[in-house]
Amino acid sequence: MNTALRRARNRQMFIFLLVCFSMAALLGRLYYWQILQSQGGYQLAQRANNEHVQNQTVNAPRGLIYDSNGQLLATNVVRDDVYIEPHQFSVDHLDSESTQTDLQNLVHALHQVLPDISEELLNKAFNSGQASVRIAGPIDPTQSQKLHALRLPDTFLLPRTWRIYPGSDLAAQILGYVQGEQGMYGIERTYNKLLAGKPGSVTAETDLNGNPLSVGASSAQPAVKGADLTLTIDSFVQYMVQTALSDSVKTMEAQGGTVVVINARTGAVVAMAGDPTFDPNNYGSSVDKRGCLGAVEAYFNPALYCEYEPGSVMKAVTMAAALDQGLITPDTAFNDPGYISFKDADTVTNWENKGYGMETMTGVLTHSANVGAAYVAHNILGPDRYYPYVQRFGFGQKTGIDTLESSGQYSTNKSAGWTPTDLTRQAFGQAISATPLQVAMAYQAIANGGSMMRPYLVAGINDNGHVTTIVPQFLRQVVSARTSALLTGMLVSAADKNQQATIPGYSVAVKTGTATTQGISDDQTEASIAGFLPASNPQFVILVKLDRPQATIYGGTAAAPLWRAIAQQLMWHYGIPPDRP
Amino acid sequence: MQSMSRDRGPSHGDHLRRQAAPGGLIAPTLKERRSATQAPPMKPILAAKRRRHLHPFFFQMGPVALCVTSVLLIGLMAVLYLSQVGQAVSANQQLQDVRTQQATLQRQDQDLLDTIAQERSPASIAQQAKDMGLVPSDPKNVQVLVVQHLQPIKKSDQSIEP
Repeated sequence: MNTALRRARNRQMFIFLLVCFSMAALLGRLYYWQILQSQGGYQLAQRANNEHVQNQTVNAPRGLIYDSNGQLLATNVVRDDVYIEPHQFSVDHLDSESTQTDLQNLVHALHQVLPDISEELLNKAFNSGQASVRIAGPIDPTQSQKLHALRLPDTFLLPRTWRIYPGSDLAAQILGYVQGEQGMYGIERTYNKLLAGKPGSVTAETDLNGNPLSVGASSAQPAVKGADLTLTIDSFVQYMVQTALSDSVKTMEAQGGTVVVINARTGAVVAMAGDPTFDPNNYGSSVDKRGCLGAVEAYFNPALYCEYEPGSVMKAVTMAAALDQGLITPDTAFNDPGYISFKDADTVTNWENKGYGMETMTGVLTHSANVGAAYVAHNILGPDRYYPYVQRFGFGQKTGIDTLESSGQYSTNKSAGWTPTDLTRQAFGQAISATPLQVAMAYQAIANGGSMMRPYLVAGINDNGHVTTIVPQFLRQVVSARTSALLTGMLVSAADKNQQATIPGYSVAVKTGTATTQGISDDQTEASIAGFLPASNPQFVILVKLDRPQATIYGGTAAAPLWRAIAQQLMWHYGIPPDRP
Repeated sequence: MQSMSRDRGPSHGDHLRRQAAPGGLIAPTLKERRSATQAPPMKPILAAKRRRHLHPFFFQMGPVALCVTSVLLIGLMAVLYLSQVGQAVSANQQLQDVRTQQATLQRQDQDLLDTIAQERSPASIAQQAKDMGLVPSDPKNVQVLVVQHLQPIKKSDQSIEP
């Protein structure tokens, strides 16, 4: 090979090697950025995916709540929040001479649609320099439509789902409310997991506007809608009860009140009202309201949480215990001079020390004589035969209703610090605390032939087509059917004599109660009445309690008129024929 | 031709090569190489057979024609691909529009359900009744009429309804 050719070949080889080296360097650099930095270091692959691939959470629609007639009690609506972008506005108008003009036009346009927000406030918001500022929300659909149509710059609407209660404060303390995604109080809280459903997710490549692309790789986990609940509540009865209670509290100048209406056969809660109450659509405005004589917030259901001393309504339980054990009959008589003394307990007197002479057990209920009740509990029953019945009637324990509740309390002969004075006082409803629902369920057992049912609020659950119906549940036989019939007769007789809660055409079995609290003046009472009707074939148990009425302090005069009005409305509403033509 | 080349004797280059590799293999001369590269002409039958084979035309194309054709083909495929992608994106946009419309209709449906529920609520009905001048009935004004031996008509028994 000659020199020239060799040199030519050497040059070729040099260039070839140079090119190879450059290619190798490029490949090495490519490997560095594509492989090494992609997964580690700058996380380039991750950052690229973050730009184009988004993982969006799909919120699950919250389940709806209906009443027993299919009336909607709680639903969801979507409302927009209005945001402005002050920083973006500044960027868009950096060198613009018409910044102020554009700003004023924008502010004016917003103010036209959202008159509640002053232009001064809008100007201040636009000058804040923040990335985004929420200026209004939720706005109504008409305003949303107007803003959509205007297509204002540097302004956007963010949809949000809201829980709405079309009935306003109807059954508010039964339902509770929703804060964020969490149910608070009532059914919303107890059944929050069922109602909330399960959120889903969508992972997909997105376009410039953030919309997921159907052409790219994507994966989706669908959201599972929350279950719908059907309650045992009848909206019309609930409304009637709430309205009547509110009027009664005002008329009787009481601090509050509670009404419970139970289906006597099944234990289903037909209505449950408390005063004061709140509007779950605007729960924040009731944060200072207190119920249960100021003990708890108005959000709590007083029928389930307000423990009180039941007073004379407890005498029916005392009589039931003695009747069931065959220790007395309705006609068993004793002498009532207006007081009774015990060797081991404090003396018990009747209201205003009234004496009734020789009176029967039925008379004890008619006159609501404390002496008679204490006599039966102390002298006839004794603690060992009395307290088992108090327990069987459900006192001192939760009723088992499908929501949160208090249990009440009382001391027995097995409790520390108990004395026989407790026994004598518990016989007429003092020295024992119970919730209104517990008292109502005690009368439910009496009305239902001695059979106590579990109270319940939810009648059915529809979980995306899978329907579960809640059936009435028998809890226990509290007293025999015979005892139930005897006691019912005594209560009817007492009601007929007093004429405080009777309604034309129907037999009613009721007992009034006027409970005082130790340490507090005797004119500050818990006036109550509990009973059921029609007595011959009980359909409903009604309990009414007014807290410290001032117009009149007695159960028979303060609570009975309300009881009567509710009872009569119930008979009409359900078309129950009179049993006393 | 071969005898003439023999008569000429070895060329100058041949002399150099022979001298450069004493004792080694003697490299072929340039003339010998040229003659060796000339393939003998094909026999007619074999040539005809070859012509009947389906050789792809571009094997016989020159480099320029091949480049131009390749560019055209690649361009055509690119246009086809972009067209498909464009259609998919357009379809995606339509899908988004439909989804937006669906969301809007769902919102309207929920709003209507809420409106209906509010109108059917007892408070609303009571207010409407009050606005119409109706008043709640007074229980004291209600009289119960007793009809002896009255048999209520069952809802299912329509034939004897008045």
